[in-house]
Amino acid sequence: MHISEGVLSPGALAVGWAVAGAGTFAGLRKLEPEKAARTALLSSAFFLASLVNVQLGPASTHLSLIAPVGLVLGWTAFPAILTALLLQALLFHFGGLLVLGPNTADMAVPAVLVYLLFAGPIRQAGGRAAAGTLAFIAGALAVLLGALGVGLFLGLSDGNFLTAAKILFAAHVPLALIEGTVTAFMTAWLKKSAPDFLA
Amino acid sequence: MKVVFTLGLALAGLSLFLTGGALAHGVGYRQPQQPPVALEFFYSTGEPMSYREAKVFSPADEKFAHQTGRTDAAGRFAFVPDVAGTWRTVVRDEEGHQAEAEIAVTEAMLSGGSVNPEAASVPPADSNNPPEGLELLIRAALGVSLLFNLALIGLRGKRPPETPGPHFESEEA
Repeated sequence: MHISEGVLSPGALAVGWAVAGAGTFAGLRKLEPEKAARTALLSSAFFLASLVNVQLGPASTHLSLIAPVGLVLGWTAFPAILTALLLQALLFHFGGLLVLGPNTADMAVPAVLVYLLFAGPIRQAGGRAAAGTLAFIAGALAVLLGALGVGLFLGLSDGNFLTAAKILFAAHVPLALIEGTVTAFMTAWLKKSAPDFLA
Repeated sequence: MKVVFTLGLALAGLSLFLTGGALAHGVGYRQPQQPPVALEFFYSTGEPMSYREAKVFSPADEKFAHQTGRTDAAGRFAFVPDVAGTWRTVVRDEEGHQAEAEIAVTEAMLSGGSVNPEAASVPPADSNNPPEGLELLIRAALGVSLLFNLALIGLRGKRPPETPGPHFESEEA
């Protein structure tokens, strides 16, 4: 899901940096000292998830953990994802420094959206099945929204949004199902063992 | 009769002209004298960048592609350079991934690799390649360590100022 350096137009880069900058500012304002450790933990999980390859038939992809980051960190997902992506660019050569803004935007915006839509209902859900189903939808939706975000930035660059979005959407459906399952299990475990962890 | 003879002559001339033209557009093939530069493009997952759009830019013209095409099933793409300098090959997919290779082509390479063994060698892969093995593990550990240290710095920066405790004045005898 990382957009490479040199692909986006200056306009798309500017939009990405504006969204990432505003979101990171909001996230840093909401960062409470006692939640710094969990922010580092989720940021590390996001950072390492890119190394977990998932084989899907002849193709392969990697985990992103966008929804778990959003469901645990809320708005703080922005600085957590920005920092993890910066380290991925510097240490693993994924993405790049100029394109860090758009990459942050297309992964942190879905994280915050699933937090706004699903964090409350998951916390309040009585049964494990209901919480698991909501978490599965949140996990899958976050990946698909991320793919849509990448398509949007590519479309902003070459004016062919629909084609890019269709290809990306179709390519990410299998990953969305996997991430939905991972999010459902993680949320079930957190609800049982550390319910305070959920934002 | 004269008209028929003239027309026949014109037709014969025309057919000779057309045949000559067709021969001028004949096709053939041969192996080039210069060795080709073949590159293999892949994702960080190890999967080849199969059938992706590829463009080669010559050092003589950085704006317009010298050659365009697609990689093969194994993510390979080859071109034959014709001038010395840095040749840039860009391969991209429809999902925003782009790999870029810069190959330094020397005069020795252009003159044919068989004379000089070094001439046909392509410089080592770009240092932008994703790390592997132990190096990858070390970098992953470094990243996690940096993230927790950053959180620690943030924690110190955001910690509320300590409230002054009870103050006891020492009684001097």
